[in-house]
Amino acid sequence: MDFELDPGQRQWLQEVRAFLREHVTPALVAELAEHDLEKRDGELAAFRRKIGDKGWFGLNWPTEYGGLGLGPIHQHLLVSEFERWGVPGPDLTVTSVAPMIMRHGTEQNKAEFLPPIARGEMVCAVGYSEPDAGTDLASLRTRAVLDGDEWVINGSKIWNSGAQRSTHEWLCVRTNPDVPKHKGISVIIVPIDAPGISIRPLMAWSGYRTNETFFDNVRVPATNLIGEVDKGWRYITGALDLERGALTNAGDLRRAVDDLLALAREPRRDGVVPVHDAGVRRRLAELDADVEVATLMGFEAASLLEDGTIPSVEVSTEKIFTSELRQRIAEAALDLLGPDGLLGHNTAAAPLAGSFERLYRAAPLLRFGAGTNEVLRDVIAQRGHRMPSYGR
Amino acid sequence: MKLVATEEERDLAAAMRDLFATHCPTTLVRALREPGGERFPQKLWEALTRAEVFALPFGEDVGGSGGTLDDLAVVYAEAGRALCPSIVLNTLHLGLAIDALAGPEQRAAVLAPLVRGELRGSVALASPYDAGDVRPVLRAERVTEGVRVSGRVDHVGDADLADRLLVTAELATYGEPARTIALLLDPSAPGVTRTALPTSDGDRGHAVELDGVAVATDSVIEDVDLATLRRVALTVRALQCVDMAAGAEAVIERTVAHTTSREQFGRAIGSFQAAQHLVADMHIATQAARLAARSAVFWLGRGRPGQRETAVAVLKAATAYRRVTLDAHQLHGGMGYVLETDLHLWSERARRLGVEGGGPDAAAGWIEEAIGLV
Repeated sequence: MDFELDPGQRQWLQEVRAFLREHVTPALVAELAEHDLEKRDGELAAFRRKIGDKGWFGLNWPTEYGGLGLGPIHQHLLVSEFERWGVPGPDLTVTSVAPMIMRHGTEQNKAEFLPPIARGEMVCAVGYSEPDAGTDLASLRTRAVLDGDEWVINGSKIWNSGAQRSTHEWLCVRTNPDVPKHKGISVIIVPIDAPGISIRPLMAWSGYRTNETFFDNVRVPATNLIGEVDKGWRYITGALDLERGALTNAGDLRRAVDDLLALAREPRRDGVVPVHDAGVRRRLAELDADVEVATLMGFEAASLLEDGTIPSVEVSTEKIFTSELRQRIAEAALDLLGPDGLLGHNTAAAPLAGSFERLYRAAPLLRFGAGTNEVLRDVIAQRGHRMPSYGR
Repeated sequence: MKLVATEEERDLAAAMRDLFATHCPTTLVRALREPGGERFPQKLWEALTRAEVFALPFGEDVGGSGGTLDDLAVVYAEAGRALCPSIVLNTLHLGLAIDALAGPEQRAAVLAPLVRGELRGSVALASPYDAGDVRPVLRAERVTEGVRVSGRVDHVGDADLADRLLVTAELATYGEPARTIALLLDPSAPGVTRTALPTSDGDRGHAVELDGVAVATDSVIEDVDLATLRRVALTVRALQCVDMAAGAEAVIERTVAHTTSREQFGRAIGSFQAAQHLVADMHIATQAARLAARSAVFWLGRGRPGQRETAVAVLKAATAYRRVTLDAHQLHGGMGYVLETDLHLWSERARRLGVEGGGPDAAAGWIEEAIGLV
């Protein structure tokens, strides 16, 4: 085991930091502070184009697909660093959709979709959950029926985050209702502005926007099917493992704890300096230690990817650990700030512009999102330790 | 950067697992703790010597095989899984300390026989309550042929089995600032009193009382650098964290095996979601501990002071091991609670290694210091 970045990786980190120093402008930060109401144009969209110009959306892809041919550790360093700066970097389109297209897609899939993803021009929302099949993903009912050389799609998706700023859907559909539920699922790429699609916003407690998306006789070319028909379950679970790895990066947690440490050294409105309290110090020390551990878990998952395997039990472990840690960080912040911690997001009097008030509301999301922690505990027990299935 | 075991590490781990499976069954662990029984694991010791475990981390100049601290961590993981007797590990600790602190002649004098399996040892380099505290508790004075040392060190492991015991002392010389020296003691020398401090797990730490014990010049290490001393003490602690994380893994495996074969209400208890989620939480805590421990050993081996890294390792490993063993008792029910079954052997090691050299409370203090909260 080697815990030290090699000279090339250190150099890369410097390059990423230099990019962020140059391009994370006050205007971008201001737009991001307006919650996650991302638009298709604006500061964030311009920032994305700059990332695309660098070729960083495809940084770990083979050069034949328009990538830079760097490794998963390079990608992990970039994503962590972006999170630490609080700006969106490569999203699920890059970290989980594209690798699945690369692994399982047809030659036409690869030629058609990978280059625009690498340029940052194609952004996918991932359409998995449905109102009647949330965590029980395989019960999805959105149907696709082949009509000549087109798929005709009917149904709806919920928790369809980012649909308002995407160009496409990575859509999971039922293509065969006559086989066991895991075996009749396919994945189809659907342009988001295809006739018959409508998007309804759902605002979350954290201020985060997600969506419900409806598909009414939506027609796409037959060649938009990814890989083989009815084999989609494999692609989805692979993409989900990658998604968990990418989403559970500890970059934002490092930043949150560093912010919290700084805050705890300053007097509150009542004049009390939180770190003067031994109990507070102990709690901060434990959070600091846990962020170090979460960082190691992220590097372990990236190392496995570098070895050519998609980590599964490892990212389930990481996802549970980081999501529960995020919650604990927010709880500790609100406890040590007392009433100051209630001051609302973006109000002048709020410590750190209310970022911990917001984090507290944001934290539950990743405990149930990207696979509930309960299901991931099943994954650890059953896939990691071969404990018997209880019929899920 | 690659947090995956190398092929060499996997081979070493497999060889060590075989060795311990053959030569360190739980029957041996039990036998060694029987009151009045033999305390020294002769056959295991010979097997470890043949496998060059005592040579592993030391230089070829003293007959060692020039391995790294990371290699030693692989051994500690397997030792922890198998509950390897402490005299083996304490002897390695003596070697690590001498390697870091002593000059060429003393290195050769201690390490050459140690590498050949001919010398058993132990160390008392830091407070048993806090490995970060390396202030000496013994007092020494210069005499013509060496020094005389007095005082008491507590909770010294295997003081009854060791040929050599490395301790530190404050040397007071009139008109000069006090200095820290290290002494290679013969625990059976005149003036040394060893009093066993018996614990419920039969492991025998000792209070070692020194009453003007004469130590010859060639057994004195002059001018011990406190930073180096602290790094050695933290290295020992970090290796113990590897032991703890691996012990916890072994307990999870036993627990999974039990719960998948034991049926209640007509089905394996391991098929209940509550049981699986307990196992998942044991797994998460253990993986956190494993990564933190290996990271601490890695950075100490590359010369970092290692206080923060070791603190993270102790916080995670001490809590994980204890929690895993207690949850394992819960999942085993009465079947794992009676002394006829082995689970309690790991529970006791978790308890011991969790606190020796400082548990989570001490470790949190090291972090507070390292990140500037105090």
